[in-house]
Amino acid sequence: MEVALKIWRFNAQTGERALETFEVEAPEWATLLDVLDIVKDRHDGTLAYRKSCRMMICGSCGMRMDGGAVLACRTRMYEIAKAGHIPVISAMGNLPIVKDLVVDMNPFWSKMRAMKPWLQPGYQQPPDGKEFLVSQERVNVIHKEALCINCGCCVSECNAWESAPEFLGPAALAKGMRFVGDARDQSTVERLEEYSGEHGIWECTRCYFCQERCPKGVDPRDAIAKLGAEAVKHGVDRDMGARHARWFVTSAKTTGWLRETELVPKTQGVVSSIKEMKFAMGLLKHGKVPPPIPPHVAAEVNESRALYDRVKQQGRDGALGIVQGEHALERIEFHDKSKKGDG
Amino acid sequence: MVSGTNGQPLRVAYYKGCLASLSAKELDISTKALAPKVGIELEELEAVTCCGAGDIHEAEPDYYLHLNARILAYAEATGSDTLMTVCNVCTLNLRQANYQLQIDESLRERVNDNLEAVGVPRYTGKVEVVHFLWLVAGTHFEQLKAAAHKGLRGLKIAPFYGCQILRPSKLLGFDDPDRPESLERIIQACGGEPVDYPAKIKCCGFPIIQAREDTALGELIQPIEQAKEAGADAIVTPCPLCHLSLDAWQSKLKKQTGRDFQMPILHLSQLIGVAAGLADSELRFKRHVVSVQPVLEKLEV
Repeated sequence: MEVALKIWRFNAQTGERALETFEVEAPEWATLLDVLDIVKDRHDGTLAYRKSCRMMICGSCGMRMDGGAVLACRTRMYEIAKAGHIPVISAMGNLPIVKDLVVDMNPFWSKMRAMKPWLQPGYQQPPDGKEFLVSQERVNVIHKEALCINCGCCVSECNAWESAPEFLGPAALAKGMRFVGDARDQSTVERLEEYSGEHGIWECTRCYFCQERCPKGVDPRDAIAKLGAEAVKHGVDRDMGARHARWFVTSAKTTGWLRETELVPKTQGVVSSIKEMKFAMGLLKHGKVPPPIPPHVAAEVNESRALYDRVKQQGRDGALGIVQGEHALERIEFHDKSKKGDG
Repeated sequence: MVSGTNGQPLRVAYYKGCLASLSAKELDISTKALAPKVGIELEELEAVTCCGAGDIHEAEPDYYLHLNARILAYAEATGSDTLMTVCNVCTLNLRQANYQLQIDESLRERVNDNLEAVGVPRYTGKVEVVHFLWLVAGTHFEQLKAAAHKGLRGLKIAPFYGCQILRPSKLLGFDDPDRPESLERIIQACGGEPVDYPAKIKCCGFPIIQAREDTALGELIQPIEQAKEAGADAIVTPCPLCHLSLDAWQSKLKKQTGRDFQMPILHLSQLIGVAAGLADSELRFKRHVVSVQPVLEKLEV
């Protein structure tokens, strides 16, 4: 088949960027990586990109196709070429470009190292002297996180990382959860303290780009939510993000609806809130600061309080409460009823 | 769903969520005024709570699941198979919980036993959670076109999707998460001209606007700046959280950057409402921080 690509070239020495078009003949089973190999072998040997295993294990060939990060070895070209589409290939986002499609992974690795990504069992021998048995339920909590191949696709479009480059980011935090959730690890609280810093768990903006991009179904945003739940469970909850989250829980079980106006002092503390008074007065004029008294109470709110008490007794606090019934890589199809005839 | 084929309005359980109940009342008011004009009959849920907004999911996830199951149970009890939302965050939270409850029978049993114990009806899993945007861009598109007869007369409108109506697409999936087009279709159907800009699918910063304001503002400025540069008269969004940050936090951008964008932000129901000729009392633009007046004046010229 005929395949065409537009590739963003970059020369770090001169700073030059150029969009070049390549048209090649490729077999119908070709992936994006196969097509890049053909370009490099037969058309332009100066094209730079990373690759190794060619089978979604090594995590080397992350790059952008039409603005979204993909693994080149996982992306089949047949449908794209058949549709006559010419995709734009560029280096991953949020990382410095070294040459063409090759990025500098150092920011990625330094954050990964900051998570202390090794087991800290705190014992020389397992309690029974033989082996440490972990229940399936506990393994399920970190099953997805353990699938990460460090490709960086989740980082490429991370909106919080783009705005705050020091943010630990989805890959490192998912790695952190892999150890926080490991039944054998004895450094849970220390880890949660370290991960709750200025650029940690609570800086995630919940844009879900990581979840959308991950080629292995790790679901890094869910991993970050699990870390948040573990932090609250273990009382590592001084961060404004944790206090913000806890206020939603308080609201749900007292009035049912979010107690919006009290959210700022409950998150930022009274002193910071006073500094925000001028801003708040501006919003007040437009009804954006609903008066907390009398409270806006949902009907039958006693049910939501009773539910809270029941659920707390059942001991599924923390990451155990995040149900991930879907398996990694499984897609849930949306059923557009408009396409189903008269339903 | 039979509406649109036999002329009967579609009866939906309507979950308005926190913001439309409180600081974004104009969203609730305009949605209620617009719904009958596009063939949707709202049955408002009363005995429901906040969906948790991602925050309860992150603090007490098992409680999050139960709160959302309770909302779904009361929606099912209305006899409708559709729960309509007007907020991205409610949509994701409810669809996520719904999916887990639908595929996992033992989970559903455990949750139902807890619901029953506190007096909530059991949930059998027959409700589909749908955002208002998906109805008016999908099954109710013809009614929308008929209702939007007053038109927007070529106003340039920047669509802002926000995150949690696009991603994760495995739980949402109405639009292509990277190349959505439902808002563009609606803008065109209302006689407006959609403007394109890269940040329309990015985050507005709202979830961390209190805990990490600088990071959030670094996100917030992108759609507003890009929409301005693309010549937009206004931005439209299907999410009241995006609306609140885009509208109310613009003054903070001015303080931080010295740039006063004065970009009016419309709720989706207000944009269609203007085209459908809703009254001022149904649109409630006075509740916005950034004045919508320049847009309305341009329409009258």
